[in-house]
Amino acid sequence: MDEKKDPKTKTEVEITDSGPLRISGNFILKDLQRDRESVPGEVFLCRCGKSSDKPFCDGSHRNK
Amino acid sequence: MEIERSSSNDRKYSNNEITVYWKPDACVHASYCYRELIEVFDPGRRPWVDMNAASTIRIIETVDMCPTEALTWKWNDDEKNKAVGAEHTNHVKFRRPELMENDQAVFPEHPVIVKIMKDGPIIIKGDFTFISGGTEKEMFDSLISICRCGESDHKPFCDGRHRKTGFSG
Repeated sequence: MDEKKDPKTKTEVEITDSGPLRISGNFILKDLQRDRESVPGEVFLCRCGKSSDKPFCDGSHRNK
Repeated sequence: MEIERSSSNDRKYSNNEITVYWKPDACVHASYCYRELIEVFDPGRRPWVDMNAASTIRIIETVDMCPTEALTWKWNDDEKNKAVGAEHTNHVKFRRPELMENDQAVFPEHPVIVKIMKDGPIIIKGDFTFISGGTEKEMFDSLISICRCGESDHKPFCDGRHRKTGFSG
């Protein structure tokens, strides 16, 4: 069975401390801004608004 | 147009065919309403809903896009509500076929849906473990909205601030 389709996969949504939003497990990412849809398994999404690779984190939150 | 006050901050707005119910406490700032129909739903205007600015069918289509109970609607003629089975509730909205058929084709077991809203927050819907500040909480059939612009006063949650700061991305 495709691991990504395992219904027992727990989905975690984590607010990392002063960092991105981590999501892992059984989820579908629908990016309405860029009209893209994917099943990535794990993502780190920008929460500071400064990433050059939105919606993903690129570490920009560490820069002043 | 009739504007009536009801309990707390809730409002309702009517034209001659339907009444739109607005529950601000339920809003997660998904922004479907004003991106779809700014003529009717303009957050910068007071009152923010103008029921005469578009056709009833356009207003219904837009209210049905709202992912929460913040916006719902009913026919003014209660007989018509019975005919459609009072289907304008949140539960029906969550089962919008254009959303569910795709998802179920991928995952029969209801995956969590993560939506990046245009110039807006991250909307997360479903059953998941929410980890924040060192604590874990099991969420069932939940809908949360996470700030993406960095400006919310209610982090990690969205408070609608992105609209005022002109967040893009």
